[in-house]
Amino acid sequence: MSLSNILDNLSRFRQDAESERYGHHDYEHRFGMAIDLDICIGCNACSTACYAENNLPVVGKDYFEQGQAMHWMRIERYWDDEELEHPERGASFIPMMCQQCGAATCEPVCPVAATYHTPDGLNAQVYNRCIGSRYCSNNCPFRVRYFNFWSFYESSWPEPLNQQLNPDLSVRDKGVMEKCTFCIQRIRVAKDSAAREERNMIDGDVITACAQACPTNAIVFGDTMDPTSQVSLAWKKHEVKRGPYTHKEAKSDEEIRGYRVFDELNVDPSVMYLERVRDSEV
Amino acid sequence: MMKGVKVNRRSFLKMLGWGGAGTALAGCDMPTTVTLEEGKEEVVSYLSPEEYVIPGVGVWYASTCTQCDAGCGLHGRVREGRALKLEGNPDSPLNNGKSCMMGQSGVQTHYNPDRVTSPMMRKGNSLQAVSWDEAMAELGKQVSSVSGDRFAFVSGSLSGHQSVLTSELLSKVGSKNHFAYETINTSIWQAVSKDLLGDAMPVIRYDKAGVILSFGADFLATWMSPVHNAGEYAKFRQGERGVLVQVEPKMTLTGGNADLWVPAAPGTEGVLALGIANIIVSRGWNKVDVPASVKTELAQYDLNKVEKITGIQGSKIKRIASLLSERGPALVLAGESTVGQAKGYEAASAVMLLNIIMGSVGTTIEPSVSFPENALAAKQGNTSSLKAFAQGLSDSKYDVVFFYNSNPIYSAPEALGVESGLDKVKFKVALTMFPDETALKADLVLPLNSAIEDWGTHVAAYQGGSATMSLQQPLMEPLYKETKGFGDIMIALLSKLDEGYKQFPDYYAYLRTSVKNMPAELTGGALASDESFWNGLLQKGVLKTTGVTGSLTATLAVAKVGTPTDHLDQTSLTLIPSARLGLWDGRHANIPWLQEAPDQISKVVWDSWAEMHPHTAAEMNLKNGDIVKIESKSGSIETQVAITKAIHRGAISVPMGQGHKEYGRYAKQTGANSLSILDPVFDHKTGELATHATQVKVSKTRKNQILIKMGGSDVQMGRSFVRTVSADQLRRTEGGA
Repeated sequence: MSLSNILDNLSRFRQDAESERYGHHDYEHRFGMAIDLDICIGCNACSTACYAENNLPVVGKDYFEQGQAMHWMRIERYWDDEELEHPERGASFIPMMCQQCGAATCEPVCPVAATYHTPDGLNAQVYNRCIGSRYCSNNCPFRVRYFNFWSFYESSWPEPLNQQLNPDLSVRDKGVMEKCTFCIQRIRVAKDSAAREERNMIDGDVITACAQACPTNAIVFGDTMDPTSQVSLAWKKHEVKRGPYTHKEAKSDEEIRGYRVFDELNVDPSVMYLERVRDSEV
Repeated sequence: MMKGVKVNRRSFLKMLGWGGAGTALAGCDMPTTVTLEEGKEEVVSYLSPEEYVIPGVGVWYASTCTQCDAGCGLHGRVREGRALKLEGNPDSPLNNGKSCMMGQSGVQTHYNPDRVTSPMMRKGNSLQAVSWDEAMAELGKQVSSVSGDRFAFVSGSLSGHQSVLTSELLSKVGSKNHFAYETINTSIWQAVSKDLLGDAMPVIRYDKAGVILSFGADFLATWMSPVHNAGEYAKFRQGERGVLVQVEPKMTLTGGNADLWVPAAPGTEGVLALGIANIIVSRGWNKVDVPASVKTELAQYDLNKVEKITGIQGSKIKRIASLLSERGPALVLAGESTVGQAKGYEAASAVMLLNIIMGSVGTTIEPSVSFPENALAAKQGNTSSLKAFAQGLSDSKYDVVFFYNSNPIYSAPEALGVESGLDKVKFKVALTMFPDETALKADLVLPLNSAIEDWGTHVAAYQGGSATMSLQQPLMEPLYKETKGFGDIMIALLSKLDEGYKQFPDYYAYLRTSVKNMPAELTGGALASDESFWNGLLQKGVLKTTGVTGSLTATLAVAKVGTPTDHLDQTSLTLIPSARLGLWDGRHANIPWLQEAPDQISKVVWDSWAEMHPHTAAEMNLKNGDIVKIESKSGSIETQVAITKAIHRGAISVPMGQGHKEYGRYAKQTGANSLSILDPVFDHKTGELATHATQVKVSKTRKNQILIKMGGSDVQMGRSFVRTVSADQLRRTEGGA
């Protein structure tokens, strides 16, 4: 990472910020998600599927208390901030994982370029370059980067639990930062299959472990550059666009429920959430 | 380096490959991750493998999930002979390719480091490893010498050919003592459906409902068939959005998703249901004619009285009643917190009355569809069988008892005396994967294959409108040489009692023959003896056929719910041993993923906790993490306090599943077992354990710990991660109601 590169990239970023393309990358794909918070029931199926797919360690009670759990995908639960006797409108659940930001705040702070942007629109983490400075996690507004404070291999996968480990990706060791990859190993398999069959990737070729498991189909995953993909259609329907934050005074239509968390920070997240609905007349 | 040369690293390497020079460079430690060419930074991550690295291709096999008894179909990914990942089978009409956290964790049950790996027999005071020959010889001796009525078989829910073999064993021994026992069940709902609708397992059409009023039925997590229900729930919410109202003393996962959550005083849900029914009939909102006698009976549940008993504002009760009439079709359900009472049957009947008068029967509640072979149908577990078994134990009725998929020493209330009663049983056999409390008390422990290593067939009790048998096939070779399939053991044992079974070398052979002989009405017309039929079954994992459709005839009657008085005792709290999607009834406490997964509502991990309302906690000067002693008439436990508004003031909830004394490293000594201190109160009509009828005294101890939970803040502090829109705005733009 040289200074001239940074400056060059920054100016290109600024130039392109106004245009449709937004950003300074030559993308092949831009994987993204749409998550409907009205049908997300907060059941943890996605989160557990992520543990199974991505070799996430179980850290145990004490390390969990210290905030060292490695749940790439976690279900946050909030109560309405009202002085009521009971939470009458139920809970608010939100699956939170790396938003694969287009203008990610984690990337420029890495002193060794261990976190970078792929041509697929993902923030990738190069484990063997990571020196554990943790600047990226410090800079992530979503708090979705997880640092291996310990080597969990022995404690998390006692024989024969280690036989369950997914051979398509590594087990990360002490001193390395990790986070949601949008199941990059599945993307790779899908790309390979498409190449072997001499065709372009189509919607549905890749499905992340979380979206696959979701009992209510609340998570839709796909390529936002493919205008016919389910995720693109969802983004379009709910009037969420790639690019910088544009403040909307009012929605043109109440049915439009799309928003991006921390959009106002101009990080261009790749995940669109759909507002939770509650029947206030009830 | 290579400045100015228009060739990138990858094509350069390819070029080298063509030149045959690739091998010469293989040993060179070239910097492989960074190239700075044309001023462009290109970092290649090891996350996405190099182009010449070919990702391994997994092979997917169809099977069936056995983590609970819903019977979801699975696909299991296998590589290098190892099962790695489980996903739902899209061909299964139950789960449509989806799965829950327990289903995902099937691999951790299978690869669990605490499995029993060889047969063990009690010699003196300890269990010692023995050979299968010795174990089976002893087992054969015991089973052939026991007199029929002194033999008992305790299991969880069973179905398919495993159920057939169990019945065969019992009939060969001459015993009728099969106790199918499940703590989490829907027995009372089924009994009431049978009596009032004429059909025990009607199909529930969440998708057709406009409003669902659920009295404690946690259908998204623990009720009937959670994954199936969640899929139907999504349809209910999409399009013309349905409204969900949940009445329960402690918020369940379903309650967390409700538009309106109503914490009625514990045990008063039946009164509330009749109060709502009274408003409906007195205003003429009922969709079905109600005789004057019923109206008169309902009239005694006037609003003031119901308000007083349930503690719910009259205006809210009226709103719920008007919702049922305005936003129909209505669907009203009754689950554990409502039916787990001494008069649970009446409470469920009161709830069912709402379905009948709102015309749900035939619209949102449809006739059952069942698999057309009764022998394969599910023998569903319940708790009345636990009561009967405990009674038999205390009467010293049994000499030989088998335990399969059941751990009553852990999950039965201590007051039933199962543990001490087992001392009177001469020979106890545990067919198990794990050294659980019951297995360690047994005289013979037979190590089972995991679900991923075993054959089986499953016919789910709740089919959701389809008629399906799901096949369970091994995804891989057994991990341990000395474990056996449940069916294999049953076949071996049956061959000792009946020559006819000697033709089957193992369970696979039996299953294969049974499927070959299936009549055409089960196979959907296909010829079962055909090899391709079997292969198709292996590939698809499910056998769909035309089911037998039941019929619904509604009976209108007002249940005598009485006036519950227990909760009026101001000095005690009602104990709620709530069930969790995750640890379930405690059987998954040995799965690390599920221990580390935060509880959906409280977000606590790895331990037990007692949920208390801030008001109740303040009265006792308790804060998060304080250890309290919770004492019922039948025993006491200690656990940490977790303060939440999602509970009624008069209740304290300690979720079930933790507090194992044995059961491997992850489960042992983690938390407290709230099932153990339940009072032996049973529903007077069905004999089911009244799980929500135990009153407890809570006292402060001097101890405290840090309450370990996910997330620092319970509110969003204005950061709007989760934004909420009101549904009436949505409806206006849709132009709907």
